[in-house]
Amino acid sequence: MADALTTDIIAKIKAHAEPGGEEITAATELTALGIHSLELTEIIFDLEEDYGIEIEMNTVDAWANLKNVGDIVAAVRALIAKKA
Amino acid sequence: MRNRVVITGLGGICGLGTNASAIWDGLRSGRSAIGEVTTHDLHNLKVKVGCEVKEMPDHGIPHRQTVSMDRFSLLAVIAAREAMRQSGLVEGDADSYRMGAVVGVGICGWEAIEENYRALLLEGKNRAGIFTVPKVMPGAPAGQVSMDLGLRGPTFGVTSACSSANHAIASAVDQIRLGRADVMLAGGTDAPLSWGVLKAWEALRVLAPDTCRPFSADRQGLVLGEGAGMAVLESFDHAKARGAEILGEIAGVGFSADASDIVAPTVEGPENAMRACLADAGLNPEDVDYLNAHGTGTKANDMIETKAVKRVFGSYVKDLSVSSTKSMHAHCLGASGALEMIACVNAIREGIVPPTANYREPDPECDLDITPNTPRERQVKVALSNAFAFGGTNAVLAFKGV
Repeated sequence: MADALTTDIIAKIKAHAEPGGEEITAATELTALGIHSLELTEIIFDLEEDYGIEIEMNTVDAWANLKNVGDIVAAVRALIAKKA
Repeated sequence: MRNRVVITGLGGICGLGTNASAIWDGLRSGRSAIGEVTTHDLHNLKVKVGCEVKEMPDHGIPHRQTVSMDRFSLLAVIAAREAMRQSGLVEGDADSYRMGAVVGVGICGWEAIEENYRALLLEGKNRAGIFTVPKVMPGAPAGQVSMDLGLRGPTFGVTSACSSANHAIASAVDQIRLGRADVMLAGGTDAPLSWGVLKAWEALRVLAPDTCRPFSADRQGLVLGEGAGMAVLESFDHAKARGAEILGEIAGVGFSADASDIVAPTVEGPENAMRACLADAGLNPEDVDYLNAHGTGTKANDMIETKAVKRVFGSYVKDLSVSSTKSMHAHCLGASGALEMIACVNAIREGIVPPTANYREPDPECDLDITPNTPRERQVKVALSNAFAFGGTNAVLAFKGV
């Protein structure tokens, strides 16, 4: 069962993904989402605003360092913990 | 002997239809697609008249591709795909490094500008959309067409306001003539039906309140439209060698600048561009059967264009069929010359001169045979297509049958 943060992040990704695609879970590879790499970066910027965190990476690194949806969740969770 | 450049595919999308044959059906029957703009949010604008693509066709371009495209790029890619399909060329058939794209753009990707300044200035968002830069840039449609069709040869955008498409097509012709490419996708695109663009045009007081009536004494100005037109241009030898159906030939191109005023046209500029085009094509004025006029429907343009045409064609002008198809597809800025290419190529193929729609009253200062309201059947061996622009940047193309 996905926690609230995972559910929220998947919902944000879904809004950008091709409709009618496969179900998105924490294990879904980012390359399988059919989302343009810049768009994924924009999703990360949205998360920064929503959670009041700062993700230190430029747009290239954002794509290069994250492999699946769970990686995004983990990165955001760690930054939220650091802030608290 | 220079390379001959032929047309082996046409594609188009505008208010008249979402493919080139639907557009030609509208043009040859004299149907104007100008009307109230209902699918774009124009906010507090006074002028609500335009020529819009009411519904996008089912283009099948995946989301990860469309997300990076402004509307003018999407229109260009839809038209380019159609032209490519008609040409019979498929990716891998020819050397992709010998295939390129030149796309004329009069403005830029204004949809993204509009969305962003509204979000930032009115809605208080604190960052711009991440695709804003690649969406807005005037070179985007050419890049998107090359990505979509896998073209790895000469690829760039061309801009000269209302004559952009003719300059783009001529520039693509040059790539083939110079031996840099065998196949070029060429045309133009623009999507100007947004608040910011129309607000600026409104300030110029050149927009017609009802419709576009080129050469009619009661004309009140131009109407803006959106669209794209694209052609597959190919060296004659390349097209022949693969047994392609040849739709027409680009016989010549002619350029000039007014070097006078940023908005007011001269007679000499357009005159010299037409003369240069005829010279490049090795044609005499009497060889031309049909002239697709720039014909914007403004008082000044139509009167000055009439004078320039009479200077070039002399006593033969009485035998020259003229029309402004902007009366039907409106002025689509960077796409205009490309849509008018669809008119010229088909006029030659079918022997039908598309009319000037919405015409009501003769104007002694516009006394050309402008084919009022009703199409005319006549043999068209050669068609000329005029494009003039703010900035005084003139470009004329000559088409002929093969």
